[in-house]
Amino acid sequence: MSVAVTIASLTIPVSPISPHALVEDVGEYFLAPENEQLLSLPVVDDGRPVGVISRYQMMNVFLKRYGRELHGRKEIATLMNRNPVLIPVDQSMEDASRYVTGNMRFPITEDFVIVRDGRYAGVGVVMDLLKAMEQQLSSRSQQLARAYRELKSSQSHLVQSEKMASLGQMVAGVAHEINTPLGYVRNNVELFLERQRLQAATLDGYTLLLHMMESADSSEAGIALQLDEVRQLHADLGGGDETESLLDDTLYGIGQIADLVSSLKDFSRVDQAMSDDIDINDCLETTLKIAHNTLKHRVQVVKKYGVLPALRCMPSKLNQVFLNLITNAAQAIEQQGTILLRTYVENARAHIVVEDNGKGMPPEVMAKVFDPFFTTKPVGQGTGLGLAIAYQIIQEHGGDIRVASRVGQGTRFVVRLPLPGASDDALAVAS
Amino acid sequence: MSKPTLLFVDDEERILRSLTPMFRADYRVLSTTDPSRALAWLRDDKVHVIVSDQRMPTMLGAELLRQAREISPATMRLLLTGYSDLEAAMAAVNDGEIYRYVSKPWNMQELRQTVGQAAQIGLRLAEAYQYVTTTPAAQPINILVIEGDDAGAGNTIRDIVGQGCDMECKLHWAHNLEQAMELLMQKDIGVVITDLHINDQDASATVKALKRYRPHVVTVVVTRFRDNNTLIDLINQGQIYRFLPKPISRGLLSRSVQSAMQHHRLLRDSPQIAARHAVEPVAETPQRRLPAQLSGFINRLRGGLSQANG
Ligand SMILES: Nc1ncnc2c1ncn2[C@@H]1O[C@H](COP(=O)(O)OP(=O)(O)O)[C@@H](O)[C@H]1O
Ligand SMILES: [Mg+2]
Repeated sequence: MSVAVTIASLTIPVSPISPHALVEDVGEYFLAPENEQLLSLPVVDDGRPVGVISRYQMMNVFLKRYGRELHGRKEIATLMNRNPVLIPVDQSMEDASRYVTGNMRFPITEDFVIVRDGRYAGVGVVMDLLKAMEQQLSSRSQQLARAYRELKSSQSHLVQSEKMASLGQMVAGVAHEINTPLGYVRNNVELFLERQRLQAATLDGYTLLLHMMESADSSEAGIALQLDEVRQLHADLGGGDETESLLDDTLYGIGQIADLVSSLKDFSRVDQAMSDDIDINDCLETTLKIAHNTLKHRVQVVKKYGVLPALRCMPSKLNQVFLNLITNAAQAIEQQGTILLRTYVENARAHIVVEDNGKGMPPEVMAKVFDPFFTTKPVGQGTGLGLAIAYQIIQEHGGDIRVASRVGQGTRFVVRLPLPGASDDALAVAS
Repeated sequence: MSKPTLLFVDDEERILRSLTPMFRADYRVLSTTDPSRALAWLRDDKVHVIVSDQRMPTMLGAELLRQAREISPATMRLLLTGYSDLEAAMAAVNDGEIYRYVSKPWNMQELRQTVGQAAQIGLRLAEAYQYVTTTPAAQPINILVIEGDDAGAGNTIRDIVGQGCDMECKLHWAHNLEQAMELLMQKDIGVVITDLHINDQDASATVKALKRYRPHVVTVVVTRFRDNNTLIDLINQGQIYRFLPKPISRGLLSRSVQSAMQHHRLLRDSPQIAARHAVEPVAETPQRRLPAQLSGFINRLRGGLSQANG
């Protein structure tokens, strides 16, 4: 990082005047080209600054009637400001400007005097100081803007990685869930194939038998042998009465696989686009299918869906919110429990309630649940980002999310989303 | 001889309906969606093979198989599952002591073969278990600990196992696979405690080869490495006895080593029982050829250099 910039860089080496200098001579100094840009000249006695005399003060004297005649031959010490602003040369720009702006009289008529160990070192111009400060500020604010951009992109990165992490878990869950129907579907098909081969062989046996019986030159013994062969083949085939139910199972399994795959597709909808006609109840259903693996056998889901108008929202993001709320609820349920999903419209808002009768949380945990990286779960189970991201997503949708919980009884999250057409005023009144 | 009995347990009836016709011709097939019904059958009936799903609403497969082990030790236990979580596979080894971990969807011919082998072994075991006698420990059991540079873990193991040893066992140490193989050839090792990575060597092939040619040697794997597929291979091809995560839990390790010694004694005294740990052959492809060192080791194991001395 850069070292603090000091006042040294602003120092102008102005030749000082003695307190004994005559006023009229000092008037001449102000006209010298090297002093043109200065508002004031330093007065130094024996190396120590004792005051400043400003162009403004000089003008006051000279513009008065007989001013020059009355004061011209006096020592400058009689006119000067004896309390100049003194700034040590090694002071940082920031401290200096704070001091200068705090002690200067306005409008600004003087420059400030720069000292090293109390001895005169030069003059500083207030405008230069302010310009330098402004530059510093703008580079700061550029840094700030860059930091902000970086933060934002790393945050969207985080959002993405939370999504990938929770989605990854779910996809793995669904993929495994597919393995069960896939297991019997595949086995049934292999069974059919095997049976098909046996049937073909049996049929061939019968055809041969028929030929033998029709043809004149086959022996009794040969026919009897073939008959035995065919009987055996037929016996191997078995009853075959279950073929139909196995076929039914197979079709059912294929249907289940198709369902799971399409719910995965619905859920992950990578497009972040706003859609106009989203049914939140559908979103909840899709999310439930995805979360099924986490829930089944352990958690009973009770649905109380109300009629909701179509919303304008980003469904893939809302799904992420619902998935996290449902997973959290399932994780809060230690053995068996219930998750209640309720939707309804009130005060021009859609309400989505996810409620569990799990272990709940104490107030000090509840106060932090929306903080990024706050988690009470072991590594691998919790990222602590789920609710922070949910909060942000719901905010992007112009809604809000709230939590209520009691230890040992359960937790309720309420998401509220504005209905289309609801004006801000209506919402403001409603809340 | 009557047909061997198979028992299938899965909460999805369609799985049961699909498996039954596949085996009906050669076996007596029992099937149920209810694990407690399965336990009742194990108690009252002679079951040679039990094949269970892992995730079921009332009981996990690994737990069912653990109880099966107590009720009917001779029954061969297999897990047939669509889920591949490490926890489940670990429970299947440590609690269920399973013979095979089969993933859904399965290949029909392969499953038929696997179950067929299990049934053959199960038939023989039913008899062998009738004559099981537990002889008192005559000689201390040689335990081989293979640990790389993980000094911490080595010390913990020395601590825990060493303490429990007393007259019962004797510890031998190997710090790389060469030393381990040498000790395995020279000493009559009964129990092996090993990590999967010894420095930068992979120990799993050695573990598998060892079980294949020395079925009475019982292996406890203690590792930080957590990969489900590796573990499944170690079950099917290496019949490891325990799979324990690092950092080492003292209680778990000491219990595991105790029962590993007991199990070794059982296998040594009743060699027919070692048949239940028959391993699946490791597929050897040109890309995955064995390192020379290991194939040398296998040759020596095969040669059965049996002049092992305590
Ligand atoms: N339904 C709930 N019941 C109890 N505690 C909850 C519930 N939802 C969230 N929490 C608490 O809030 C914390 C933060 O949740 P979240 O941001 O989703 O992160 P994570 O689930 O990864 O821990 C959780 O670790 C948990 O302590
Ligand atoms: Mg969460």
